Amino acid sequence: MTSRERALGWLAGLGLTAGLVMAFGVAPREATQGNVQRIMYLHVPAILVAYLAFGVVLVASVIYLWGRAAGADRLAHASAEVGVVFTGINIATGAIWGKPTWGTWWTWDARLTSTAVLFLVYVGYLLLRGMVDEPDRRARAAAVVGILGAANIPIVHFSVKWWRALHQPSTILGPEPSPIATPIAATLLVNWIAFTLLFAYLLTARMEIARFEETHAG
Amino acid sequence: MTYARRTWIVLWKDLLSERRSKETLNALFFFALLLLFLFQFALGADRERLTAALPGLLWLGFILSGLVGLGRAFLAERENDCWEGLLLVPGDKSAIYLGKVAGNLILMLLVEAILLVLFAVFFDVDLGAHPIRLIVVIGLGTLGFAAVGTLFAAMTAHVRAREVLFPVLLLPVQVPVLLGAVKATEAVLLGEPLGAVGHWLGLLAAADTIYLTVGVLTFDAVLEA
Amino acid sequence: MPDNWGYVFSAYGLAAVALLGYWRRLVGRAKRLADGEGRTGNETG
Repeated sequence: MTSRERALGWLAGLGLTAGLVMAFGVAPREATQGNVQRIMYLHVPAILVAYLAFGVVLVASVIYLWGRAAGADRLAHASAEVGVVFTGINIATGAIWGKPTWGTWWTWDARLTSTAVLFLVYVGYLLLRGMVDEPDRRARAAAVVGILGAANIPIVHFSVKWWRALHQPSTILGPEPSPIATPIAATLLVNWIAFTLLFAYLLTARMEIARFEETHAG
Repeated sequence: MTYARRTWIVLWKDLLSERRSKETLNALFFFALLLLFLFQFALGADRERLTAALPGLLWLGFILSGLVGLGRAFLAERENDCWEGLLLVPGDKSAIYLGKVAGNLILMLLVEAILLVLFAVFFDVDLGAHPIRLIVVIGLGTLGFAAVGTLFAAMTAHVRAREVLFPVLLLPVQVPVLLGAVKATEAVLLGEPLGAVGHWLGLLAAADTIYLTVGVLTFDAVLEA
Repeated sequence: MPDNWGYVFSAYGLAAVALLGYWRRLVGRAKRLADGEGRTGNETG
């Protein structure tokens, strides 16, 4: 483990601790939902980080197809894997948040559905990588899926949003009431930064492993 | 040889070999017939439920047939050792992609036409009230499916477990196309003018454009052995 | 509305388990790879 990796790890740990303290100590008890709303400080940062991760996959995939740099492929792979983890956490915490507030674990509302589709696309990406042995072909195929998956995100967003609009008005509680109270905003921000640091750390660690595996494969 | 000409040659070759063997088309025709029976048995005799589900059933039928058909998209090249032939085509390989998309599109539209007739006959529904609108909607949806399907078919052609990986990769990406196509088809079958679903058509057209663009830009990389 | 602390702790617990688990998996893999390299002769010097 490099010293930079170690530093990132400590920073992430620090950030997560701060975020936790704020989520339970600083953030107020929400008026309508009660304390269950504190799940938001996990749920929202997770998906924001996931979007960052898949954005990185997109850029790395394009870079790979452009110059065939193995490092770009490793970055794409690592970022997709970490992104899937955070997406899964977002979906799971969303379900746990939804059960007491909506009365159901799952509902086909726009956000949940879009996120589920996102999850499926990038799990597919990882499955594909697992099924191709030749490194070059694997990297090329994965890059195509990585690019298409990301390009598809806005299309999915609008299609699901319009799909839901016909079924029910958006009475679903959004994560942010408007205007957003300062303690809530601050807690959200701190947790978001903490999650982003954690993402950077996990990404670096995962890439290091990929580099190891490559140099000792053949 | 111009780009357009190369595209046309690929399309013509596929159409010609399909017309001679009729392999895929015949198999897909019977597959479509079977699907119809499945839908009937799965949904039962409730006419109201069936009519309500009709747009969704139509597109389920289109997609399932499409998966089977697209899965075979590069079969000829694979089985007859022609893959290297594809690689040797001079110039921009994306011409092959567009030719293949066009061929797959035509094949899928043919099967969909058959499915529409079968639906009309076996489920006693009137699908021909607004043929032009229906064709536009089905065309846009099928194009999106063919665009990504052709790309992924080439991509998974030499991959282990491609029969399961191909649908696993294709279907999540096609969710918005399915949503839009079903909504638009529903509107058409209800007699609404196309303007009422203009936003869905716009979305489908945008999706098709994006998919084709990505396909054209990346097909070269996908084809490499 | 009741506070549903059970749900809150489940959510945080799940996230913690998932992230910790993933992190430990990464660290474990890295360690095994590093050890393997050391044993078979340090190629990178």
